[in-house]
Amino acid sequence: MRQKLKPFSLLLILSSILFSCTKNETTVVLPVTAITVSNLPADTVLGVNAITGMPFSAGKYTFYSLERNAIVPNTDSASTQWDLAFAGSKILTNGGTSGKGLGGAFIYTGLFNDVKTISNDSVFKTDNAPGSFAVTFGSGKGWYVYDQLTSLITPLAGRVLVIRTASGKYAKVEIINYYKGGVTLPTTASESDKLSKQRYYTFRYAYQPNGSKTF
Amino acid sequence: MELRLLLFLIFTPVSIFSQVKFVKDTIQLKGDSVVVTATRSERKLSNVTVPVTIISAKSIQQIGALRLTDILKEQPGLTMTSGFGAGVQLTRLAMNQQFKYNLTQNTNILIGMRFTNEQIKNELSVTNGGLTINSNGAEKNTDYNVSSSLNHRFSNSLKTSFRSYITRYNATQNLLTVSGAPYTDLLDHLFNRLENQTDWVVNKKLTAIVGGGAVMEGVKSSRYDSEKIRKTNTNQYAFSQWEWMPNSKLILIGGIRFDHNQTYASAWSPKASMLYKINKQNRIRLSIGQGFKAPDFRQLYLNFTNAAAGSYSVFGTAQAQKVIGQLNSLGQIGTLYNNFYQLKALQPEYATGTHLTWEFEPNAKNNFSFQLFRNDIRNLIEVQQVGAYITGAQIYSYLNIGRAFTTGFEIEAKHQISKEFSISTAYQYLQTGDKDQIAQIKNGTVYTRDANGLSRKLNVSEYVGLPNNSTHKAQLKFNYSNQNGLFGNIRALYRSKWAVNNTNGNEVFDDGDSFAKGYIALHLSIGKDYINGLGFQFGCDNMLNYIDALNLPNLPGRTFFATIKLQKSQKHKS
Repeated sequence: MRQKLKPFSLLLILSSILFSCTKNETTVVLPVTAITVSNLPADTVLGVNAITGMPFSAGKYTFYSLERNAIVPNTDSASTQWDLAFAGSKILTNGGTSGKGLGGAFIYTGLFNDVKTISNDSVFKTDNAPGSFAVTFGSGKGWYVYDQLTSLITPLAGRVLVIRTASGKYAKVEIINYYKGGVTLPTTASESDKLSKQRYYTFRYAYQPNGSKTF
Repeated sequence: MELRLLLFLIFTPVSIFSQVKFVKDTIQLKGDSVVVTATRSERKLSNVTVPVTIISAKSIQQIGALRLTDILKEQPGLTMTSGFGAGVQLTRLAMNQQFKYNLTQNTNILIGMRFTNEQIKNELSVTNGGLTINSNGAEKNTDYNVSSSLNHRFSNSLKTSFRSYITRYNATQNLLTVSGAPYTDLLDHLFNRLENQTDWVVNKKLTAIVGGGAVMEGVKSSRYDSEKIRKTNTNQYAFSQWEWMPNSKLILIGGIRFDHNQTYASAWSPKASMLYKINKQNRIRLSIGQGFKAPDFRQLYLNFTNAAAGSYSVFGTAQAQKVIGQLNSLGQIGTLYNNFYQLKALQPEYATGTHLTWEFEPNAKNNFSFQLFRNDIRNLIEVQQVGAYITGAQIYSYLNIGRAFTTGFEIEAKHQISKEFSISTAYQYLQTGDKDQIAQIKNGTVYTRDANGLSRKLNVSEYVGLPNNSTHKAQLKFNYSNQNGLFGNIRALYRSKWAVNNTNGNEVFDDGDSFAKGYIALHLSIGKDYINGLGFQFGCDNMLNYIDALNLPNLPGRTFFATIKLQKSQKHKS
């Protein structure tokens, strides 16, 4: 096993050096355009358990390819077809314990348009279930805050998810909204609306297909 | 619309023994109120250097106030936020006894006792989203307090007083939930204070007060680690105050108090104040002082894990490090944040306040006052996440971190239209803010969202300050009262919008967040008191029927009320 792996990984390193060399010399970095994805369902609430009063859902992730700007069927969950997976407020990247790809991420505090180049000392985290995720999970720690009084989830303003895709390319993502129609419900909305209309992502992203760290 | 009919029977037996002689104060009463609170010595209100508002028993009764919040929310400059502990009752059935003995001409003993007992039966059922929750059971509240003092006058210029105050409040709640599971909540609060105060008239221009005392407090609660063990706290304090009257126009007061505490850091409270009587019509008061708010028992001793909501835990600082350390050695802790290592004995919250007041009283029928104020608060105690369990559930404790300010001005005016009619009005302008948040906004590290939901930087001009504070508050009151005991009043209270929820994705309150709407509450009360102690009163609170159940749970819709009162005073003369 070990014997076989070694030359392969050596090849990988070599090829990446080769690629980066050619890229530096010839590639002209094209400005990438931002794409907005609206109402992406992410394991939406199906109902409320009559006995426990707890909401329930199918428990399935929605897989998304940033490269192709399309949903990836769940049958391809064990592939490098997808870059991000959404379920409730949890976002996975295709790497580490979550997938076979080279995926990783970190959260940048600032504006989407200010992420022009990913500096070389940036550290990409990878998913390491159950305790640690590249896109940090939990209220106030990653991309959103949860208000216990209103039971509403609000994406934090000024947070950019800097993503390394399954194929090792780079993208930046800003989550805009978590509710159906792209508008957070008013605090006075009914409990049933707050449950049934949540878990619909609206986000914008820019994907750099040439593999460079510049947008 | 709600109808409430109340019948009050208030018996206040007062036993006065024949040997009692009234100890004369050095001040002359000429219709001016006497206050003690502000300076620890009996002073005419017009001679007090700090701003004091007196709410007379008569005015409390005439507006039909039942709870402390009813009367406080009608004071300009005070805002009552809804929450726990807002329901202190002003009248209820209570046994009340006071005695005074004169041991010698210069020595007397005063003893006062009070006992109340309250039983509340609950039969509630709440339906929410098809789920019904029943709550059946009883609440029992008992409250007793005993106060006593030993007073001795050494000479006309020196007197001393030993005072003790012992009180205990016990509240138990025993409920059965729909599943049959019992829900019990217990609070038992014991408070004992012993203090001495010595008043010394050094000369005609200078008086001094020196004193000190100790407070022992204990709380048992089902929300602490064990409801059997009483959490105790002792506080020793010493104070001194000097009052200098260089001439008939100027009074200067300087004072300092030191508090040494068992469970949180010691605190100094210095203050200085001044009253300058420019002429008969104009007075200026200036006061600068520092006060503190001690950490409460919850912030020290809470040991609470909410199994119903993700099993997060909150630990008071007195135990947080120990308890979390034990959990860590059991391998239950996943992460500890940097601020866990910063946990230490809580400091009190300090506030430094400056108040400048100009009072103008052109004649007995009109008075006017204008006040500027600024308060700086530091060491604000805030709950913060200090770590997480392996399961990811959060662990919280308390830290002194916040810095805030409140500043603004207040205008009050009163006009006596005739012997029976008077009108009064007040307005307050208030600005508040969290200093750290303002610094972050200026640094450009606070963001908000534009109309399309995209992030942008927040401007300082969009910042609204602390939640639950209205920029404008105003009130207008008409009052009627005649010699035959007939009285009536109509009061309009206005409050402008205030921030309630953070909804736009940053952790500061700004224009993009959700606000409660400004509103006017209009109240009316009419009544008549008879000499024999009988009284009738009726009225209507919230005549405009303004309702905002979410943000103003303490403001029910239009409420009619009627009160019949019988006040009996027995005076024994032996």
